[in-house]
Amino acid sequence: MIKKSVILILLLSLSTSCVVVKEYEKVNLNDPDMVLSDKKSDRNITTAHSYREAAAGANGGKTGGGCGCN
Amino acid sequence: MVVKQEVVVVVIKVFKKKNLKHINFIILVLVSIQFTFGQSQDSTQVYKKRVLETTEVDFLSSYYTQDGDNAAVSGGIGTEELTDVTATFIVSIPLNDDDVLTIDAGVSAYTSASSSNIDPFNGSADPFVSSSGASGGDVWTNVTGTYSHSSDDRNDIWSAKLSVSAEYDYFSVGVGGSYTKLFNQKNTEVNINGNVYIDTWNAIYPMELRPFAEGGSGLDSDLFIRNTITGNTDYDPNFTTFDNEGRNSYALGFGFSQILSKNLQGSLALDLVMQEGLLSTPFQRVYFSDIADSFIDNFQLADDIERLPDSRFKVAVGGRLNYYINETFVLRTFYRYYYDDWGIKSHTASLEVPIKLNDKFTLYPSYRFYNQTAADYFNVYEGHLSSDEYYTSDYDLSKYSANQFSLGASYTDIFTKFHIWKLGLKSIDLKYTQYDRDNTLSASIITAGFKFIMD
Repeated sequence: MIKKSVILILLLSLSTSCVVVKEYEKVNLNDPDMVLSDKKSDRNITTAHSYREAAAGANGGKTGGGCGCN
Repeated sequence: MVVKQEVVVVVIKVFKKKNLKHINFIILVLVSIQFTFGQSQDSTQVYKKRVLETTEVDFLSSYYTQDGDNAAVSGGIGTEELTDVTATFIVSIPLNDDDVLTIDAGVSAYTSASSSNIDPFNGSADPFVSSSGASGGDVWTNVTGTYSHSSDDRNDIWSAKLSVSAEYDYFSVGVGGSYTKLFNQKNTEVNINGNVYIDTWNAIYPMELRPFAEGGSGLDSDLFIRNTITGNTDYDPNFTTFDNEGRNSYALGFGFSQILSKNLQGSLALDLVMQEGLLSTPFQRVYFSDIADSFIDNFQLADDIERLPDSRFKVAVGGRLNYYINETFVLRTFYRYYYDDWGIKSHTASLEVPIKLNDKFTLYPSYRFYNQTAADYFNVYEGHLSSDEYYTSDYDLSKYSANQFSLGASYTDIFTKFHIWKLGLKSIDLKYTQYDRDNTLSASIITAGFKFIMD
């Protein structure tokens, strides 16, 4: 699984030259709702998940440690 | 520049004397040359926008409630009723053009019917009734400081983090760092981050097991003198306390994000976590099917506490894809696959569609699906044998699916008209979330976030 993930990330890295969006074309991408992470105000929801669910990580939240959860 | 302007003035004066007819044309040419030259001079100056223009303050708060019938404290049966209130301040301070210091301080206070049953013998003991014992609540406090530095071209970002958190029975110190590189005209971003948490339990054990720890007085203890054991009256658990109360977590994360078009961008993340030490929760009971049951009132006395391996390796791979549909709708998607060497595999998928009603108000409806397989060491109430090496009846480690629905609303005022002291209110976020598992646990959470900008 790790091997596949690393290969996938490398392949995507190599494909980066396929498109270049200029700074002045990033109006829509700079919309606050386009950010590639959870909203700061959703942090306590993510924390609740880390207490109640076994899975954690890969979402910008905590991956373990710092509390009795996980 | 001053010298240049003086030259222009002198030239104009000379030409005024010699040929007044062409003065307008010459002035126009000279001004044009000066303007053009000046422009090229300006374009060579390096303008560095501050990473953070001014101090920002976020206040986050939440109110969480849950209930269910599978409390881990009472071995997989009993109330899971819990209420938690959280308040957090996050202050981001620009130290200069490139550096930002963020202080994140939070308090979380909970009351829990199930953890109150660590000591249920304060009245009529029953796993479905909360006890009045001191273990029914706790306060978690946390302070995290993060320092980040960005390069002049903003293509390299370093950060370092130090955190401390404490509960009555748990203390944690964490250090971490990350490096982010942007390239391809900031269309591509890669990130590597690492965190180490050094945690320590102050282990609390179920009340009825404490007399059976080394040096305890067993059935001669005050607990069993004050209360009458029914069922198997020869209660004699094979109980030992944990020698090692430390828990260390080592996390290594990789991130990659890519702009795919003017309206589409995505990211991938890989997190690897190694944990070692005391990974069991010391106050969670287990009942064995091959040992006769003993009771005080309606509460079954523990055969042991959960015993889990002292190491765990976790892998999470996630991806996000966000699409800007139009000025009203945005599509936000997330998927994660997770597995660990305790036998748990999990899928998480979520979809959120922010709807901009106008330039101030946005709605956030969302749906999230989660499922997981059971840990190899999980079994239901009375499902384990005393000969097992590892065992738990914590339903957080069981097989289940969960559905979550949320509806949020945000208000944004870019002019920050409303003020508290020197802080202008920039945005308010409110959200209600309902979370339901297929194993009786149901939870709801109300979150609120207020963002202020310092004048």
